Amino acid sequence: MSDLIGYLLTGLGIGAGFALVGSGLVAIYRVTRVVNFAQGAFAVLAAMLTSSLLGAGLPHGVAEVGGVVLGALAGLIVGVIAIGRPGTSPGTSLIVTLGLGVLAYAVEVLIWGDQPRSFPGVSGVAEVGGARLPAHYLLILAVTAPVFLVMAWFFARTDLGRALSACASNRYAAQVVGIDVRRMGLLAFAIGGALGGLAGVLTTPVQQVTFDSDVTLIVNGFAAAVLGGLTRPMVALAGGLLLGVAQTLAAGYGGGAYQMEVALVLMLTVMIIQAARTGPVPETA
Amino acid sequence: MTGVIEVRDLVVRYSGATALDGIDLTVHENEMVALIGANGAGKSTLVKVLSGLLRPESGTITVAGRLSQVPEGREMFPDLSVDDNLRLGGWRNGRKGRDTTAIYDLLPDLAPIRARKAGALSGGQQQMVAIGRALMARPDVLVVDELSLGLAPLVVAALVDHLRFLHTERGLAVLLIEQNARLALDLCRRAYVLEAGRIALHGPARELSRDPRVTAAYLGGHVAVPR
Amino acid sequence: MTERTHPGTVPDRPARRRAGRGRRWALAGLALGTLALPPLLPERHLATFVLLLLAATVTVGVSLLMGYAGQVSLGQASFYAIGAYTAGLLAVHGVPPLVGLALAPLIAAAAAVLLGAPLLRLRGHHLAFATLAVQLILLSLLAQADWAGGAIGLQGIPRLSLFGVELREDLGYAYAAWFVLAVAVLIARNVIESRAGRGLRAAAASETAAAASGVAVGRYRLAVFALSAAFAGLAGGVYAFYLGYLAPGSFPVLLSIEYVVMAVVGGLGTIAGPLVGATVIILLVQVLNTLGTQPGMPDYAPSVLSYAVYALVLVICVLFLPRGLVPALRSRVGRVVRP
Repeated sequence: MSDLIGYLLTGLGIGAGFALVGSGLVAIYRVTRVVNFAQGAFAVLAAMLTSSLLGAGLPHGVAEVGGVVLGALAGLIVGVIAIGRPGTSPGTSLIVTLGLGVLAYAVEVLIWGDQPRSFPGVSGVAEVGGARLPAHYLLILAVTAPVFLVMAWFFARTDLGRALSACASNRYAAQVVGIDVRRMGLLAFAIGGALGGLAGVLTTPVQQVTFDSDVTLIVNGFAAAVLGGLTRPMVALAGGLLLGVAQTLAAGYGGGAYQMEVALVLMLTVMIIQAARTGPVPETA
Repeated sequence: MTGVIEVRDLVVRYSGATALDGIDLTVHENEMVALIGANGAGKSTLVKVLSGLLRPESGTITVAGRLSQVPEGREMFPDLSVDDNLRLGGWRNGRKGRDTTAIYDLLPDLAPIRARKAGALSGGQQQMVAIGRALMARPDVLVVDELSLGLAPLVVAALVDHLRFLHTERGLAVLLIEQNARLALDLCRRAYVLEAGRIALHGPARELSRDPRVTAAYLGGHVAVPR
Repeated sequence: MTERTHPGTVPDRPARRRAGRGRRWALAGLALGTLALPPLLPERHLATFVLLLLAATVTVGVSLLMGYAGQVSLGQASFYAIGAYTAGLLAVHGVPPLVGLALAPLIAAAAAVLLGAPLLRLRGHHLAFATLAVQLILLSLLAQADWAGGAIGLQGIPRLSLFGVELREDLGYAYAAWFVLAVAVLIARNVIESRAGRGLRAAAASETAAAASGVAVGRYRLAVFALSAAFAGLAGGVYAFYLGYLAPGSFPVLLSIEYVVMAVVGGLGTIAGPLVGATVIILLVQVLNTLGTQPGMPDYAPSVLSYAVYALVLVICVLFLPRGLVPALRSRVGRVVRP
C-alpha cells in the first residue's frame, strides 16, 4: 500500500512536468495552429541556466525564476522566427520549430557542454501515508497546481486571456474586432516558453537534464496534450499526470523497463482512435 | 454634409485578378446606405478593405471616426460566452470601454443569454450578438455584411427594427451590404449596385427599386411596390 | 505542409520531353562521374562518400514520401535501423550476407506496411509525432533486446561478400552504396512517372479532389511509405556490413531529422532534390567537422557546428527557399535561358 502511494506521488510529480510541457504546446497551438517542436528545448535551456545561476551563488528562487524567464524569452524568439513572416503556413512553422530545436542543441552544448546536469532542489525525504519519497516531488506538485489555477483564471477572466482564447476560437473574427493575431501568437509562444521552462526547472533536481532530454519531454508533453486535441490545457494537465503515474507504476511494478513505451503506445492509441472517430484529421499542419 | 466613409477610385487585386475596379462610394453622417450585388460581385472584398483587413492596390479610403463591422456569417467566437464575445468587441477601447451593460440596455434580448456559449445560439441570436459586438467598439459607422443571410423572415424583421432604431435614435451611419435587394432598398434611402467589381448604378433607393435593370437582376423581375 | 508539395504547373508536352531528355543526360553524366570518383578519393574521404550515398538513398525515399504523399516522417531512421539489424543479425547467425542484404529492404517494407496501416490515418503533425514515437519505441526495445546486442550493440558482423569475393576495402562499399542508390533513384523515377505517381501528386495537392476522381489515396500512400522504408532498409543493410557493428545509438532521432533536412533543402518531389540535398548537407558538415577538429578547437566544436548547420540550413531553406534548392536553381536557370 505504501509502495502504491509512493509510486502515485512520484508519478504525479513526474507527470506535472509533462503536463507543463504539454500545456505550453497547447497554449501555442490554440492561438497559432503551430505544433512547437522546440517546446522541450525551453525546459532544457531553463534548467541549464538555473544550474549555472545556482553555481554562481544566486539563491534558490532567484535562479529558478531566471530559468523560467529564459524559457519565455526563448519562446518569444522561436515565435518571431516561426510565425513572424506573414503568410508562413503552420506546416512550415512546424519545420522551422524543428530546426530551432536542433539549433538549441548547438547553443546548449556550446555553453554547457554535453554532460548531464542537475542541481539540488528541496532536500530530504517526505513521509506521506507510510510512503517515503524525496520531498522535492511534493514541491513540484505544490507549484504546478497553482500555476494551472492561475492559467485557468487568466484565459477565462482577463481581457488579454480572452483575446488569446478569441484567436484560438475564430481567428478571422479576432481580426475583425481589432485583435493583432500575430502579436497574440508571439505572446502565446512566450507563455509556452515560460511553461516549458518551469517544467525544466521543477523536474531537474529529480531527473538530470542533458541537451537532448528535449525529445523525451516533447514526446511526453505532446502525448499529454493530444488527449485534449491539443486545445485544452486542463486536459493536458490530466493527461500529463496520468502519463506520469502510468510510467511510474510500470517502472515500479514492471521492473524499470518499458516506462517510455507506456507513454508512446498510449499516445499512438489515442491519436489513432481520434482519427478513426473523426475521419482523416484535416491537414492544418 | 461630409462623408463618414469616402471611397475614391479604389482598386483591389487578388493575385493578379481584379476584384474591385475604380470604386467610388460615400456614406454621409447619419445616413443609411445600401450596397447590393450578386455573389462574387466584390462586396466582401470591399468590406475587408474598409475594415483594414486587406490592402488596396490604389485609391483612397477615408473614414471619419470609427468604423465597425458586422461580418458576413456572423463570425462568433463559438466557445466563448455571449458576454465575452461582446467584451472582445470593445478590445480597441481599453479596459473601461469593455463594459457590456449598455449593450444589454440597447439589445435587451441578449441579457438572458449572456452566459451561454455563442456557438450554441440560433442564427438570429448570433446575428444580434454580432451587432452588439460591433456596437461595443462605439462606432461612428456600422458596416453590416449580409444581415439577412440564412435567417427566417420574422427574425430578419426583428433585426431590422433594431438596426433602424440604432440609426434613427442614435444617429449611427450604416452601410448595409445585402444580397436581399428588396430588404436593402426598402430600408435605405440611397443605394449602390456592385457588378463585377464596379459600381454599375447608384442613386436614391426608391428610384433604383423602379429601375428595370435592378428589378430584372435583383428583384426577381417584378416591379417593386412603392412604399 | 501541403502548400510546399505542389509539383507546380506542368509545362507543355514538347517542352517537357525536351527537359526530360536533358535531365536524363544529366543523370547519366552524374552516374558515370560518380562511378569514376571512388578510386580517386583518398581513404578518409571515401568513408564520407559511402555515408553520403547511403544518406542520399534514404533521402530519395523521404523526398518521395513528403513530396508525393504529403507526409512528414520523423522516424525514417527506424527503417534504416530495421534494415541494418536485419542484415546484421542474419549475417551473425551465418546466413549468407547477400541474402541478408536482400531481406533488409523487404523486412523494412513489411514493418512499414504493418505500422502504416494504422498510422497513415494520421496527418501532419500527428503523423510526425507518431513516426517519432515509433522510432523511440524501436530504440528502447533494441536497447533492451539481448538477442540484438542490447544497448552495447551487435558486434562481429562479417563483411559483405558478393559471389565469393569479400569486400574488405572501403572502395568495394563505395560501389555497393552506389549501386543501392542507383536502384533507389531508378525505382523512384519510375514511380513518379507512373500513373500511380500522378495520382499521388494529385493526392498531395488535394486529398478530397484526388479521392473524388477515383485515386485510391490510402493504398498509394501506404505503398509509398513502404517503398521509402525499403530504400532506408536497403541502405541500412549496406551500412551494417560496412561498419560491422550496430548499436541503438547509431540511429538517433536526430538522424531522422537529418533526412528531413536533406529532403527539404534539396527540394521535395524531385529526383535531383534528395541527391543535391544530401550532398550539400554532408559536404557542409564534413567541412565544418574538419574545421572543428583543427588543433586548438574545443572538443565540442564538431558537434556544435553540425547541429548549427542542420538547424540554420533547414530554417533558412524553409523560410526563404520553400521549394528547395533544385527547383529554385532550375527556375533561375530557366529564366536566364528563355528571357
